[in-house]
Amino acid sequence: MTRKLAKEQELDRAMTLNQARVGSDLRIQVLRGPGCERLRDLGFCEQIEVRKLAGGRNLICSVCGTRLAISKELAEQVLVKMAVEKP
Amino acid sequence: MSDPSQVAAVIALIGNPNAGKTTLFNALTGENQRVGNYSGITVEVRSGTFFTPHGRKLRVLDLPGCYSLRAASPDEKVAVDALTGNLSGEAKPDLVVCVVDASNLERHLQLALQVVELGLPCVLALNMVDVAERAGLRLDPAKFADELGMPVVPLQASAGKGVLELKQALRFPLPHAAAAPWLTPGADPEAARRACIGRLCELAARRSEVHQWTPSDQADRVLLHPVLGWLFFIGILLTVLWSIFSFARIPMGWIELAQGALGEWVKSVLTQGDLSSLLVDGVIGGVGGVVMFLPQIILLFLFIGLLESTGYMARAAFLMDAVMAKAGLSGKAFLPLFSSYACAIPGVLATRTIPSAKERLVTIFVAPWMSCSARLPVYLLIVPLLLHEGEGSWKQALVLFFIYALGTASAFVVARLLRGRLGPDAVATHFLLEMPPYRMPQWSYIFRHVVERAWAFVHKAGTLILGLSILLWALSTYPKSPGADEAGTLAHSAMGRMGALIEPLVKPLGFDGRTGTAILSSFAAREVFNASMAILFRVRDTGDKKANRSMLREQIAAAKWPDGRPLFTPLSMISLLVFYIYALQCLPTVAVVVREAGSWRWALGQVAFMTAFAWLASLLVYQGGSLLGLS
Repeated sequence: MTRKLAKEQELDRAMTLNQARVGSDLRIQVLRGPGCERLRDLGFCEQIEVRKLAGGRNLICSVCGTRLAISKELAEQVLVKMAVEKP
Repeated sequence: MSDPSQVAAVIALIGNPNAGKTTLFNALTGENQRVGNYSGITVEVRSGTFFTPHGRKLRVLDLPGCYSLRAASPDEKVAVDALTGNLSGEAKPDLVVCVVDASNLERHLQLALQVVELGLPCVLALNMVDVAERAGLRLDPAKFADELGMPVVPLQASAGKGVLELKQALRFPLPHAAAAPWLTPGADPEAARRACIGRLCELAARRSEVHQWTPSDQADRVLLHPVLGWLFFIGILLTVLWSIFSFARIPMGWIELAQGALGEWVKSVLTQGDLSSLLVDGVIGGVGGVVMFLPQIILLFLFIGLLESTGYMARAAFLMDAVMAKAGLSGKAFLPLFSSYACAIPGVLATRTIPSAKERLVTIFVAPWMSCSARLPVYLLIVPLLLHEGEGSWKQALVLFFIYALGTASAFVVARLLRGRLGPDAVATHFLLEMPPYRMPQWSYIFRHVVERAWAFVHKAGTLILGLSILLWALSTYPKSPGADEAGTLAHSAMGRMGALIEPLVKPLGFDGRTGTAILSSFAAREVFNASMAILFRVRDTGDKKANRSMLREQIAAAKWPDGRPLFTPLSMISLLVFYIYALQCLPTVAVVVREAGSWRWALGQVAFMTAFAWLASLLVYQGGSLLGLS
């Protein structure tokens, strides 16, 4: 029960890829939604670090050295948190 | 020892888009094949053969790139079918070479592990080790081989390094299928694979830093900028169009000269008669009028090859996504539609990279309205006539731009209406595109590709267009009417009678029977229009430096209706241009659409719709213009 609560709190602090600031390094927490299989195939997996390079109608992210453009709808299904907490 | 000419085994190359499968395929087989720095260049399975160092002949299949074995788009499905032996005409491969980009193992190994799980014997080819090392990655192939239980070969296919080692790894007996030790009963295979990849990368591919600010990123800051990016994009497109029209004029002049000289030579050798007439009017005039456009076609394919090979095409698709969305399509439809400016056939083939089936059908449907290079000869014949001047002024470029824009805009409107009618997809698909790093263009591949396309064009001119030219010449010459003048001969000939027959159909559009016949003859291939007009209006090669086309233009300008009115007024010429913008007059395209859309009805519907639309649009222009008092 407490573990579940802790997990939910963790998710509350997470934001979607759309909400993240351009240029920030992010760690993927959870994928949820209909597009998540496709996202995993492309390398958007849990615990992978990504950097958001551009926002807008389509986002550009750097995943393991590759640049991927994904639509806003897909980015909405990716929950991330900042990879390095800024002091 | 088996017969060395027999294929001993079938090898399949599989990997993510941009992993370098096609480059490796070329390095292995040396066969001509196209490679592009844009996901989805290999849309069909190509095969070639090569010999191992032990003299065994192996057949190798180059499968389309895919991200996983859960096929999402038609080209991915082809790859999966080939692996499982469900592709018609291909046996199940004896061995799979998983090509992975060594600088991108976290992502590319996903697919490799899925292939191992299929139970097929595998060899892992770590491609682009040079890029990985430059990125600060330390690779340990031996450790990979240990962990995965299969042969691992590091290579750099673009430079041919490691290809021999790979051939040696393919020796007999072929390796056994690896066991997929990461799979434990009851566990989620997805998570198991991910854990395995994480461990592998930790062990054998140490990354110095996760994110690096590469030169490609610097370039993208400008080229994908919301304002600057568009300026560059439009600038690049205009440069391409301008170069096609200006540079090509020099070699086109040479071709015209050669053609004139050849006609003169034939006339000087042969006595005046049917044979001389056939060769000069039918063959040289007909085929020459089409071959003339070879330089422009070469340039167009060269530029498309350059944009693909450098990696800019993916950026263009990214930028265009918002515009395409207005037409109910996505950025993925940009490459097929842009290719269609060169030729609708590669354009229709390239639609296989579009994951949504409905979007793909819509893209196929409207692709022929992107004015292809076969229409150029017709445009270039009519536009200078319309403006009463020679070739190559900025006004003509403007009219041409308008012609292209009209076709494109109509295509977008129809796409939007059609997309709306088809309804949403059963499974929503979203825009998803890999942006490959910018690379220097691979000239050898661009060159091969251009030669391939140019040869296809010359081949068509030498077969289909030659045949039609001879047929048209015969139809416009026989049956003969002795004693009659040229006009009388033509009216009496089979072609003249045919023209009279279809005149009622084209007269409302402002054309006479001869023009109607030329249009009819160009339904197999548009370029034939020029050849037909040259034959029908009896343009002969005089052999002087004057171009055939300008002579044909003079003939057309002088042509009159029986009551003495000029045949071609500005209005009827615009009507003719509009007809050519919209009509689908290309048999090979119809054949490709039948295959790609998988339906005769779709292809026939497309032909019927576009022909009817062209006729109606033409009618509207001519009759509407006449009502407004224009001529």
